[in-house]
Amino acid sequence: MNLHLRYEEEHALLRAEARRWLDERFPISRVRALAESESGEDPADWKELAALGWLGLVVPEKHGGAGLGAVHLAVLMEETGRRLLPSPLLPSTLAALALSLEGSEAQRARWLPAIASGEARVVFANGTSVWGAERADALIAPERAGLDVIEARAAGLRIEPEIVLDRTRRSARVTRGGGVPLGATAPSDRLVAWACVALAAEMAGGADALLAMTAAYAATREQFGKPIGSFQAVKHPLVNVLIGVESLRSLVYAAASALDAESPDAETLARMAKAQACDVYVFAASRAVQLHGGFGFTLDCDAHLYLKRAQTTRPAFGDAMQQRRWLSERLMGTTGPR
Amino acid sequence: MEKLREEVRAWVAANHPGDPGWKLPQSALEVAEDRQFDWLRDWQRKLYDAGWVGAEWPREYGGGGRERGTQRVIDQELARARAPFLLNLVALSWAGPVILRYGTEAQKRQFIRPLLRCDEIWCQGFSEPGAGSDLASLRTTAVRTGDAWQIDGHKVWTTLGRYADWCILLARTDPAGVKHAGISYFLAPMKVPGVEVQPLVKMTGEGGFNQVIWSGARIPADALLGREGQGWELATATLQFERGAAEGSAGGSGGGAEQVERVAALARASGRDADPVVRDRLAGFWIREAALRANAQRARIPGLVSDRPEALPLMQKLTASELTQDLSDFACELEGDAAGLWIGDRGAIENAEWQRTYMNSFAMTIAGGTSEILRNILGERALGLPKTR
Repeated sequence: MNLHLRYEEEHALLRAEARRWLDERFPISRVRALAESESGEDPADWKELAALGWLGLVVPEKHGGAGLGAVHLAVLMEETGRRLLPSPLLPSTLAALALSLEGSEAQRARWLPAIASGEARVVFANGTSVWGAERADALIAPERAGLDVIEARAAGLRIEPEIVLDRTRRSARVTRGGGVPLGATAPSDRLVAWACVALAAEMAGGADALLAMTAAYAATREQFGKPIGSFQAVKHPLVNVLIGVESLRSLVYAAASALDAESPDAETLARMAKAQACDVYVFAASRAVQLHGGFGFTLDCDAHLYLKRAQTTRPAFGDAMQQRRWLSERLMGTTGPR
Repeated sequence: MEKLREEVRAWVAANHPGDPGWKLPQSALEVAEDRQFDWLRDWQRKLYDAGWVGAEWPREYGGGGRERGTQRVIDQELARARAPFLLNLVALSWAGPVILRYGTEAQKRQFIRPLLRCDEIWCQGFSEPGAGSDLASLRTTAVRTGDAWQIDGHKVWTTLGRYADWCILLARTDPAGVKHAGISYFLAPMKVPGVEVQPLVKMTGEGGFNQVIWSGARIPADALLGREGQGWELATATLQFERGAAEGSAGGSGGGAEQVERVAALARASGRDADPVVRDRLAGFWIREAALRANAQRARIPGLVSDRPEALPLMQKLTASELTQDLSDFACELEGDAAGLWIGDRGAIENAEWQRTYMNSFAMTIAGGTSEILRNILGERALGLPKTR
């Protein structure tokens, strides 16, 4: 397997812009307020995301998007993950990716420009629980021959908001007549690879935010007359989180670079990144709660916001165990048990 | 670089020394017999004469003066061809880079070429029986008498000590001074009266690992590297080279990327490749190996490390050594009963190579800063946590 990480000035510029905007617009107090609100989001944010060009980041230029690649996507997702962006940018981006990669020419022409401009809300659906479905205009589901685009007003479609653990990311239960879930087949390998990179990048941002928050707390919180971060029983688990997060970021950018280069190893690297992301994000969240002690267990501490995001995002496009199962088949051949 | 890669590949194909017909050590840490030493010295010399050692080091001191990145390509190709390791480990990877950075013009001219060519062997005199992780508590003394320093003390973990001509030696020059400030750094000759090298035997039964007793050994006044009392700073720089946290090795650090594939083959051979538990763990190791390589690449991209620049370089030795340890232990477990067999038994798998790798892996999780010390350093430098102690 060959690795060729690529990161240019344009990627650094996007990161700086995204970080500045997100830091300013989404202080944790506002994220919390939105999480407590009825809809979980503010329509003004959606308009801004469209104006910044981020709704169409991966939409091809001929369909009104920026036509940027996987490294750009990873940068944006990492930064939004850091701030728990309470807006359905991710499911919209997954829909845009699905259309770009697998949609028919007619589907692309109809929906991609509307996604990029923010005019239509389109989300990716695979299964019954669908992120961002409540206010969606259309849902994109993988089907045997390409994609199924289901308009939200379609007859027989039921969209019922779910009571969710992570209130910064809303989902709805979507069924067709007869209780049939959307998405009759598994998404294509290419789409899985892109989705894994987007998800792993978002999770890397969240895990990194947890690490920074917990390290800062351990450096100042005193017990036994010393900052608790001076004790190895606190320091070493935090360093284990650090090692996990740093390795995750490396895998994310290796996978994103491989996608942009159309390398045959892209899917392997993307699944490695997603496996690592699942384990690291949950580990970072659990250490954040634990090392904040009694305060960590309360609703006032921000750690639980991330812990809930980690638990919610883990199963999407395959958790760590499922990714490792796929990877073992790539490594060993398909002789494993059915 | 691709042209260079082809050139190295062709050269190795034509010049690979093959199998000596007896058991080669796994690394410079296990060289204990003269025939091993002679054979490996000849190999490094041949590599140097071809231009594959010290390729990026300055020409005027004996290096190749080539552009940055050259050595990495050479090392990768040597590793790919499973060429023998470079014998003069301490010299190429840490003594040499430190002399280039801190040495006088005369010291660079004297030492660099012979160490690249394996004409002079180097060892390291840092650890002592009472100063391991707490290295700055070392008690070896250097006392200035006329035009010489007199050295007294006891050093351990001395790889290549038996063969060494020179030693990078830490000794206390100011017994009254503060712990760290009283230490100086010497380029000390080994072949002088008062230096006694005694072999230590490792848990594998292999030698190569020594202790050195310095009793009234006199070394010249100009053996000092840097200033008197600057030893701790130079020792820290040396340890950064040793941990792979600083670039500048003269060669021999290509690393093997195919360890996991070898273990996968072992799982197949032992009939355990269908076991989902085995497969899950193998995939986990594959991810760790890929992450190690991805980390090494990302470390060279400033825009992707700017949030926490200290982390990746300091992680390198820690993560690589722990992966080797965990993976070789897993391989031993896969061997089943054969894990209890040792070199020479006809039932031993790969002549007990995994058992040997597992036991020798502790050298890398202990030497050059234990994994525990490295976690302290990472916590303090990369995460800004307060010092332990």
